[in-house]
Amino acid sequence: MNILITDDEALARVRLRALVEELGHSVVAEASHGEQALQLCETNSPDIILLDIRMPGMGGIETARHIMSLDNPPAVIFTTAFNEHALQAFETNAVDYLLKPIRKEKLDLSLNKASRLNKAQMTKLSEQEQEVRTHICARNHNSISLVPVANIMYFMADQKYISVVSSEAEVLIEDSLKALEEEFSGLFTRVHRNALVAIEHIRSLEKSSDGAHYLLLKNCDKTLDVSRRHVPAVRKLIRDMG
Amino acid sequence: MGIKERPEGNEQSTIFLPDFCNIGMVFAVVVLAELMAFAILLTTPYSFALSWDKLGVLSLFIQWIALSSIGLLCVSRKWLIRYSDTRAGILSYLIVLSVTWVVAECAWWSMIYTGMPDNNDMHRDFILRTLGVSAILSGISLRVIYLQYQQKIHIQAHANARIQALQARIRPHFLFNSMNTIAALIRSQPENAEEAVEDLSDLFRASLGKTSQLISLSEEVEMAKRYLRIEQLRLGDRLKVTWTLGDLPEQAQLPVLTLQPLLENAIFHGIEMLPAGGEIHVSGSRKGDLLTIQIDNPCLPPQQSQRTNGTQTAVNNIDERLRIAFGKQAGLSLERQEQSCQLTITFPMTEGE
Repeated sequence: MNILITDDEALARVRLRALVEELGHSVVAEASHGEQALQLCETNSPDIILLDIRMPGMGGIETARHIMSLDNPPAVIFTTAFNEHALQAFETNAVDYLLKPIRKEKLDLSLNKASRLNKAQMTKLSEQEQEVRTHICARNHNSISLVPVANIMYFMADQKYISVVSSEAEVLIEDSLKALEEEFSGLFTRVHRNALVAIEHIRSLEKSSDGAHYLLLKNCDKTLDVSRRHVPAVRKLIRDMG
Repeated sequence: MGIKERPEGNEQSTIFLPDFCNIGMVFAVVVLAELMAFAILLTTPYSFALSWDKLGVLSLFIQWIALSSIGLLCVSRKWLIRYSDTRAGILSYLIVLSVTWVVAECAWWSMIYTGMPDNNDMHRDFILRTLGVSAILSGISLRVIYLQYQQKIHIQAHANARIQALQARIRPHFLFNSMNTIAALIRSQPENAEEAVEDLSDLFRASLGKTSQLISLSEEVEMAKRYLRIEQLRLGDRLKVTWTLGDLPEQAQLPVLTLQPLLENAIFHGIEMLPAGGEIHVSGSRKGDLLTIQIDNPCLPPQQSQRTNGTQTAVNNIDERLRIAFGKQAGLSLERQEQSCQLTITFPMTEGE
């Protein structure tokens, strides 16, 4: 089987590679962080990914969540040195994990029975971990792109898709504004039925000559309409920011 | 009594009023009331020898007051515990006094009924005396109950602090990660593996010892460096550490494992969470007899760091240990900017024997 190893520690990867190879499998690639793992999944299409939970930037659980949006996702086995909380969530959702230092026999067993995660498992896992994504994953044709949530200025719902506008790019995703609003509450705020704006990026609330309200954003020329019923909340938010 | 308003839904054990419905409590109150009857009789001259019937009447009277009071307290406890300790205390006190008054009135009127001549002055005198005795004794009892409760709280807090001390110093995360590092090193770099095992053993030996033990600054720095050596193996060039302790006296005393948990914190919440890692800077300075050591490290902006209560545990713990060892002038402060965290410990210069 083809295996992708993901761990931010070089020595942990060395050991895992040795164990995997001793068991007669091949390591197609090694990743040192979540974003890289995601790209390597796409280019190398491994059968199984060994995914460390605690990594800088995008953690293992979020990475798994993005991996599931791939066309042909690999089976996921999480690895961790210690994380009582996550382990409980794994147990209840029947998600496979290995404890570091990993035993060869256990690794063998897990590799042999490895299966893909399903959406239900992953949704529950993210919920129980109260995980908030650090990146939004967008797909166009065959490639995927990751947009850091910190760079996103606003989400704009448009018929079937939501366009994610960040300082660098604009991408389309399939999601619901309501779910995004819940996940990123405190970071983003609703200003219109179809728009969710990053609080950090709001510059000011203005009023046009015909009485309609609109928002000015930092580092962005585009203005956003604010619907009448959201005006008081937005005004309060701006006042609180000082 | 300095008492704060109590948040909703608190545990039973944190309420100062004891459970008056408890059979042991009822027994204690009966015995106390009886002893009080004896005491009152003893203070009345020439009356002891001939007054078994007097004792009987007096006992009956006092028991009525005592048992009605705790009966009422038992029933109203559910409602009293919603208030702050001060209010609950004052309300209980008022309950006891009202019960005393009612029982005393009943007693007076039953004496009138059995043929004692009525007299307004005597009536007032009787009621006031009874209320006075009740006020003093129930006041003392409530005070004793309160002190007992405070002592219990104190013991509990102390025990919690000790448990936290242990947990804060041996982070399981560190142990298992180190073991994983060693497992990897054994194949490729057996000499480094050996050194890591030695360093790890020293750290654990120190952390299993007494929390209050003081060691010299140079030994503590050595201990911290052992810890950092292990982390260096694991994190590679993501971890950089610079030391500028300057003119801090090497023989200055501080509690064992003060620096290590703070460095661990800097790595766990800072360096390890940054893809490119970063540099921890440990610096020291001296102002007269007061020494400060400061740990600077890059960390995630507050909105991106999840679940940081671990930091708080370690920080509180070191703060408490410094205060226990050196009193108020010692302590720890935490400062947090957008991308960097700063911990400063302050302690007085003392030399070991």
